[in-house]
Amino acid sequence: MSIQLQNVTFVYPGTRVGVFGLDLSIDDGELLAVIGASGSGKTTLLKLIAGFEVPQSGRIVLDGQDVTGLPVRDRQLGVVFQSYALFPHMTAWQNVAYPLKIRRVEAPERHRRAVDALARVGLKGMEERRPQTLSGGQQQRVALARALVFQPKALLLDEPLSALDAGLRGEMRDEIRRLQREFGISTVHITHDQEEALSMADRVAVMEAGRVIQLASPRELYDSPATRSVAGFVGEANLWEGVVDAPNAVSVPFGVLLTTAHGLGKGQAVTVLVRPENIMVGIADGIPNRFAGTIVRDRFLGAVRRYDLAVGGLVIRGQTGIRDPIETVSIRPEHIRLLPSAS
Amino acid sequence: MAVPGALVIVLFFILPLAVVVAEAFTDGGGAFRKVFADVVFWRGLAGTLVLGTVAPSVSLIVGFGVAWHLSSLPENLRTNLQFWISLPLTFSGLIVAYGFILALGRSGFITLSLSYLGSDPATFSGFLYSPAGLAFAYSYYLIPRVVLILLPVLVNFDRTQIAAAQSLGAGGIRAVMDVLVPQVMPSAVAAFCLVAAVAIGAYGTALALVGSQVNILPLILYSRISDSGADFPSAAALSVILLALCTLVLAAGELYASRRERRDAAS
Repeated sequence: MSIQLQNVTFVYPGTRVGVFGLDLSIDDGELLAVIGASGSGKTTLLKLIAGFEVPQSGRIVLDGQDVTGLPVRDRQLGVVFQSYALFPHMTAWQNVAYPLKIRRVEAPERHRRAVDALARVGLKGMEERRPQTLSGGQQQRVALARALVFQPKALLLDEPLSALDAGLRGEMRDEIRRLQREFGISTVHITHDQEEALSMADRVAVMEAGRVIQLASPRELYDSPATRSVAGFVGEANLWEGVVDAPNAVSVPFGVLLTTAHGLGKGQAVTVLVRPENIMVGIADGIPNRFAGTIVRDRFLGAVRRYDLAVGGLVIRGQTGIRDPIETVSIRPEHIRLLPSAS
Repeated sequence: MAVPGALVIVLFFILPLAVVVAEAFTDGGGAFRKVFADVVFWRGLAGTLVLGTVAPSVSLIVGFGVAWHLSSLPENLRTNLQFWISLPLTFSGLIVAYGFILALGRSGFITLSLSYLGSDPATFSGFLYSPAGLAFAYSYYLIPRVVLILLPVLVNFDRTQIAAAQSLGAGGIRAVMDVLVPQVMPSAVAAFCLVAAVAIGAYGTALALVGSQVNILPLILYSRISDSGADFPSAAALSVILLALCTLVLAAGELYASRRERRDAAS
């Protein structure tokens, strides 16, 4: 079922913090990740959809029905909280059966459905355990089962993986994605982890100061960020301030970069984006942008090596699998993106 | 290291207790028969039970509200306020009673201030010298006890559980009843039993406030040893009854807690 936010504004009383004029549409069965720094408004967005906050203006439409003023309990949304918010006085199956109990499902039926839901998240045999005796990953699975067992209209995930260690996080990403596809449920996934967003989502919304500054597929977001801040937030990036020199050239503090035809006027200020993995080590035939410098930082990470090459008072950040000494790098024109200048 | 502690317990608890119990049974339980035959005792028992129920109930309700609010405050502010809230615990019951008399007595400053607004000082202050007024005064030092017992539970309570219950379909009251109440109940029962035992046994405040106007066991006990014709066997029998009553209340609380613990451990 689809979720639509139409020109939604909400400001926390006595502050200027909130969300402003949000227009957002989540399609049926889609997983939308919302990323942004702390205070960007992403959790407020989730609270508004869930009904924990009511917008001062605008509409929230769920499956064609205006739910703007509808209480939380009537929205039929499965929410997974950052802390999981499991009930410690109930066993795993009782936690999962709770929404069914509220819906007056008969005791044997709700036990059967809760046990079945736990099995679907890989917790067969854990039904009688209390949350505090389960690991973080298992608690996460109970929370997911509880949010899905009553067949909600949509799933809202509020930073559900942030309390897990790195290894388990990767595993749970795949698990959430699998369940989301299996249930075919529209999902809003709030996270501050851009890698999590890129790897899981159909589309990603980037929020800043209460507004969505870009809404795009993970690839488009990475390859063609709309602004300097999106480029900096999503993935590693070299971001240099420059000025358009010619229809296919910009000057940056350490020299002139040849680009593909960009259609911008001469003298226009721009931000130049080059991803570290697109910085090529050494001099290759036919690549015009070549720069020599000194390595000032060199980090070996196993499969890749990240380095900082000081060139003309600036630093070019690169990533490579090559282990030889690095003195010169090259940049292909098609790997250079020009963004609106930050200044 | 345990010897000095044990010595203190023997000298100042077990020995006096043994003397009191022995005194109560000197004439083969005759003192108990005499006490049970006295209508004043039964009235006192009833008064004590009312006081031991009303004062803890009021204290539990108010204390829960205070503890809930404190638990939502930043830690620094909470610690500071906790100090002020605990302050009444350091006062003797007599001081509390005189404080109440100075504020709410017949010529108390609140009573007189209110008289300017047309209230009758005698009627207003009459409340303070009634069993209800006694319960009110008791609450003054029972509430801090409740707050101190409930606060750790409420501070550790993850309030997103309430939000989670609501998102799963529960209304506000249902969410509180299903999620908060079961988790707070063991501490609430413990707090109730503890302050009930204190209220049943307290006598300083009662004596200073109401003298012998209100029939409660501690005051009857006091009258048996202070009047000209002191009746030590009856006083000792009353002491044993009072002690049994307090122990019973505390034991009920412990029983509830241990049953609950066993149930939790079983699952």
